[in-house]
Amino acid sequence: MSRIYDWFRDRFDLDAVAAFAKKKEVPLYRGTFLYYLGGICLFLFGLQVLTGILLLLYYQPGENTAYESMKTIISRVEFGWLIRDIHGWSANLLIFFAFLHMFSVFFGRAYRKPRELTWMTGFILLALAMGFGFTGYLLPWNELAYFATRVGTNIPGSVPVVGGALLKLLRAGDEVTGATLTRFYGIHVSVLPALFAGVLGLHLLLIQVLGMSVPPSQERLPPEERRSIRFFPNFFLRDVMVWLVILNVIAVLAVFFPWELGAKADPLAPAPAGIRPEWYFMFTFQTLKLLPAHILGVEGEVLGILGFGLGGLIWFCIPFIDRWEGSHKVSRAINVFGVVVVVYMIVMTIWGYLA
Amino acid sequence: MNRIRDAARSVLPLLATLAVVLPAQAAAGEDACTDCHLGMDESKETQARLFSHWADDIHGQVGLSCADCHGGNPEAFDDEDAAMWNVENFTGAPERTEIPSFCGRCHSDPAYMRRYQPEAATDQEAQYWTSRHGLLLKEGQDKVATCTDCHGVHGIRKTDSPLSPVYPLNVPETCGRCHADAAYMAEFGIPTDQLAKYRSSVHGVALFEKRDTGVATCNDCHGNHGAMPPSVKDISKVCGTCHATNQKLFESSKLGQIFADEELRFCEECHGKHGIQKPSEAMLAWEGDGVCLRCHTDADTGPREVAGAIAASLGKLRSHLEEARAEVQHAEEKGMEVSDLLLFLEEAHDGLVKTRTSVHTFDPAQVTRAAEPGHKAAQEAIEGARALVENWVFKRKYLLVFTVLTLPLVLLTYLKVRQMERS
Repeated sequence: MSRIYDWFRDRFDLDAVAAFAKKKEVPLYRGTFLYYLGGICLFLFGLQVLTGILLLLYYQPGENTAYESMKTIISRVEFGWLIRDIHGWSANLLIFFAFLHMFSVFFGRAYRKPRELTWMTGFILLALAMGFGFTGYLLPWNELAYFATRVGTNIPGSVPVVGGALLKLLRAGDEVTGATLTRFYGIHVSVLPALFAGVLGLHLLLIQVLGMSVPPSQERLPPEERRSIRFFPNFFLRDVMVWLVILNVIAVLAVFFPWELGAKADPLAPAPAGIRPEWYFMFTFQTLKLLPAHILGVEGEVLGILGFGLGGLIWFCIPFIDRWEGSHKVSRAINVFGVVVVVYMIVMTIWGYLA
Repeated sequence: MNRIRDAARSVLPLLATLAVVLPAQAAAGEDACTDCHLGMDESKETQARLFSHWADDIHGQVGLSCADCHGGNPEAFDDEDAAMWNVENFTGAPERTEIPSFCGRCHSDPAYMRRYQPEAATDQEAQYWTSRHGLLLKEGQDKVATCTDCHGVHGIRKTDSPLSPVYPLNVPETCGRCHADAAYMAEFGIPTDQLAKYRSSVHGVALFEKRDTGVATCNDCHGNHGAMPPSVKDISKVCGTCHATNQKLFESSKLGQIFADEELRFCEECHGKHGIQKPSEAMLAWEGDGVCLRCHTDADTGPREVAGAIAASLGKLRSHLEEARAEVQHAEEKGMEVSDLLLFLEEAHDGLVKTRTSVHTFDPAQVTRAAEPGHKAAQEAIEGARALVENWVFKRKYLLVFTVLTLPLVLLTYLKVRQMERS
């Protein structure tokens, strides 16, 4: 082992890397468990890549092959059901933990100077992950996915001025067809992974360069009272421990709650009852559903989409809006804003499922 | 206030009529017939009847006008004599007895019909005069159905339009308008329960509940324009139009020969007519509703054994199919992918249908042979479903092994971290 290390050390400056790894520390306080969230997301993304590649070996995009190949994967390919279920569950858990990670960063004020770009790249990663979810949902080409995509692609279609073009760009035509499936497949397995890998690399680099953020409450403590642990190997081993637990949870979910394939999509069939988007789009879907047809002469849906666009932009730019970052004062307004957003998302999601 | 209400009362019906009539007039184009008849003091109902459905009428859609059927001169505006009475080809509204020949002027003319619908039949009128309706009409009985009673007037749609009264889904109701009306049919002395019986029959359920337009309805057995009850000799041929194998097997069976000799009503003797129910082995029972007892007696031990053996074969296959369905459902409830097994179930069901068909040979050996493919498919479904359930159990075992392997790893990591942090 040491010979291999020496071989590399002769060629690369491994000692610098080892020194950096030794120096890297994680703050130790009541909220340390929140630092696991980013690692969990990274682990789940790794699972996504791995299971996604395995699915690619058998999946055949196309109106007449997608559903059939999915059926083959879950019923004939050895452990195909497991790979598909892990892919589906880890995708959902990834978005769930990414949301948790984002809110923990938000309420811990981890976006403050100098970590504005870390926040922004994280936000982009979440948006890309949701894009993965949206495009991946259609790939089995089943009834529910087909109609949910029809409804889902209608939403960007309502954006003023560019809506029509956006709709055509997404659907590869006026309707959701086999061409949309091929397009979503291309986006899901090449465009999004390339973008995600680039932004993730930048996000991780920024974390290494800027170190772990500590919340204002810890920063206010005198240096001798601040505690920390080494990232390697202490925190990393803790990370591994959590990953193993998560992997087991996914295995339980895959065995006890497998993803149903349902009936094959039939564009000519009437839309089945209970069409709904994936849970992480539910709050937007429910909001748009509740809006009246017209508000002050403007189409309700258009206003809703513009509202979400504006909300997303504010969220994205929060490091520049939170003016108290330098003085370590806790901004009550920002906290209230964050709580309102969280409560709104939870209430609308629950309402969407109960409606 | 009352004057306003009165004014509204007189104006609103007029507005309502105009709303119906004006679009129709626009559809009909500039025409002396519509020009005059819309302005005449005819009742609003008459105007609505004449014009409100004209836009949907196939004749209007292909560009025919009032004069093409009723004659007259559609260009003679404001001159009643020049428009109607002095025009040689003016027929006006035909009497009921004249309607078949009125429609037949065009519909019996292949050269004329070719211009609009080259593939259209042109024998409807000829057929009609051979029908029970046509024969009675010739005798002067004008209560019988003529073209317009079934197809409508001034709103005649193509027969493949779901809104047409003769679209397959609407045929029973259309015939039933007269044939289910006991008061109207009283003088003809025929039953009026056909529609009610048909509704609960295997055909009626398929038509009304499953919306299966391929299923037999009134005209499929009685004919369309040449409608007539089938004769005793023709019954098996009528049923055989769809149930060809049953007809062939029965006619070549020993029993079929006896039916022919005795002039029995073939299919109808056992299955009935308008109220035909889904067949089952209960029909072969030597008691209760068993149909064999309608002719046989307890003393006929030979036929009784044949019926018993055939019923046993059918029952065995049906039970096998039910068992297969239960096993597949069990696997499906466990979340397993069963679509391949559903094909086996379908095959087994087809096997049961074919076995039921083979009953018409009245040969137990042939029925047993016919049941074999059904048994094979049912067995495949059962074995496939059991394999899936085994796989379901395997998944749980795999999970247990995985958990047993990972949890100690988690524990070891935890202990290692604790040890490191203490030191």
